[in-house]
Amino acid sequence: MELDKLLKPRKRKVYMKINKTIIDDTYAEAFSMWSAKVIITAESDYWAMGAARAMTGMATSVIGCKCEAGIDLKLSPNETPDGRPGYSILVFTIDKESLGKRLIERIGQCVMTCPTTACYSGFESEETVNVGGALRYFGDGYQISKKIDGKRFWRIPVFDGEFLVSEKFGVKKSVGGGNFYILGNNVTSCLEACYDAVKEMKKVENVIMPFPKGVVRSGSKVGSKYKDLVASTNHAYCPTIRGIVKSSSIPSNVSTCYEIVVDGADEKAVAKAMKVGINAAAREEVIQITAGNFGGKLGQYKFYLKDLI
Amino acid sequence: MKLKLHTQPEVPFEAESITPGIINKLKLKEIEKLKLFHGNREVNLGDFFSAKDDKKDSLEIEGDMHMVKYLGANMAEGEMHINGDVGAHLGSAMSGGYIKVDGNAGDWIAPEMSGGRLHITGNCGHCVASAYRGASNGVSGGEIIIEGNVKNELGHGMSNSTIVVGGSSGDFTGVNMNSGTILTFGEMGIRTGAGMKRGTIICFKELEILPTFTYDCLYSPVYLKLLFKYLKENTKIKIDKKYIDGNFHRWSGDSVELNRGELLVYYS
Repeated sequence: MELDKLLKPRKRKVYMKINKTIIDDTYAEAFSMWSAKVIITAESDYWAMGAARAMTGMATSVIGCKCEAGIDLKLSPNETPDGRPGYSILVFTIDKESLGKRLIERIGQCVMTCPTTACYSGFESEETVNVGGALRYFGDGYQISKKIDGKRFWRIPVFDGEFLVSEKFGVKKSVGGGNFYILGNNVTSCLEACYDAVKEMKKVENVIMPFPKGVVRSGSKVGSKYKDLVASTNHAYCPTIRGIVKSSSIPSNVSTCYEIVVDGADEKAVAKAMKVGINAAAREEVIQITAGNFGGKLGQYKFYLKDLI
Repeated sequence: MKLKLHTQPEVPFEAESITPGIINKLKLKEIEKLKLFHGNREVNLGDFFSAKDDKKDSLEIEGDMHMVKYLGANMAEGEMHINGDVGAHLGSAMSGGYIKVDGNAGDWIAPEMSGGRLHITGNCGHCVASAYRGASNGVSGGEIIIEGNVKNELGHGMSNSTIVVGGSSGDFTGVNMNSGTILTFGEMGIRTGAGMKRGTIICFKELEILPTFTYDCLYSPVYLKLLFKYLKENTKIKIDKKYIDGNFHRWSGDSVELNRGELLVYYS
């Protein structure tokens, strides 16, 4: 097998193939994060989507965005607390304290500002962060609190009525940085595989793919030759420097690599999303699917591709 | 545990000891020897009730107990299901747990309640969740759902609690209210919200508004959608879709007090 020979220098065992795509015998290394689920509703899907998009903007990676966020699911009126159309959003940060800050910033600036919206906690959890209880001060003394079914909400007067927000948002320890790489020999077919993978992964509840359209082209590694940088390009997967990088992981017949990063509320959700994503991406045009890890130094979660398939 | 009234009291019977927290920890013989007051005479619980261990965690009580007062008083946990009418002071000073009455209840229900849930499928008398005479504060928390009608002074001086009435309420509903929510699906009597400082009173019928209230606007409060959904899922109160999607006139008051209260009157 020509491909097996090409992979030989990497000293990795080819485990199996799906639709002629080699599934590398490796694992995705993920790490612990804190997450919150935010339910946004509005009078129509148009406005709910507007708030959801604003709130999840510029939230691709904690490396430079302070949080990772994305739309989890679109919710029908009978799935939301107030019977209006909505979206569930997941927000991830490294620690609980900063999660509370990000929620206050983003709900305050992106959801409260959007016409007709309301915002609720989506996780039932003993661990909570104070969000509505802080945003209420925007009401300048005219805010009203209400308790329904043991949960406190704040009604903040705004130009079109009131902004209703949960006082506390449930948060929980979650999993960030689940990933897999799609390697192909041209951009178009590789992107088609990414598109199909993300499309299937979006159907899985409690996960987000926080990068643009769910795909990353600038996958990173921990650290850099420049001491002030915490992350830098994962040069082992950059095809243009394959010839000069001794430890390159790019086979000679590969010219394109994309990464799909998945954050999930728990290990099970991440594993499920990775599984459906890999299966959807695997095809004749995709030469190899592998995953990013740092030898167990980055995080405590390991998702072995062979176990997922 | 299950209690059944076998002898009708001739005068009011004070049953403060009848709570799940007390009854469910005792053996049958101990329960029958619990001391209660029949009028001003001390009697054994067994003189009026028969006890049976049905191996359930909740306490079930059966019989016409319109003369039995203080059922569930000081209750802090557990569940109590009452099948039949009950007398005054049901759930007095309760701080937790759940009481459900399949029947009617008397006056002064849930005075000084601070937590827990009370659900009455029938009607109630005067001064439900009301402050005692001379006191400025009434209930300070919890949830009361009455599927039938209530008489005067519902929620007098109440704070934080949520009270829902499926039928009508009498005069002075929410008088001197400090905070919380009163929702009445039927008619309300006169002087609703008189002297209220904060809080919300929601009405679905025409209402005589006191001149000390100021009209704000017509709008659709989102939080009512949550409240209606909760009620639909947890009570037998029928809520018309037009209420859920409807608009409400908002009035602020009472200006003789803090003026931070609101009346929400359904716009039909």
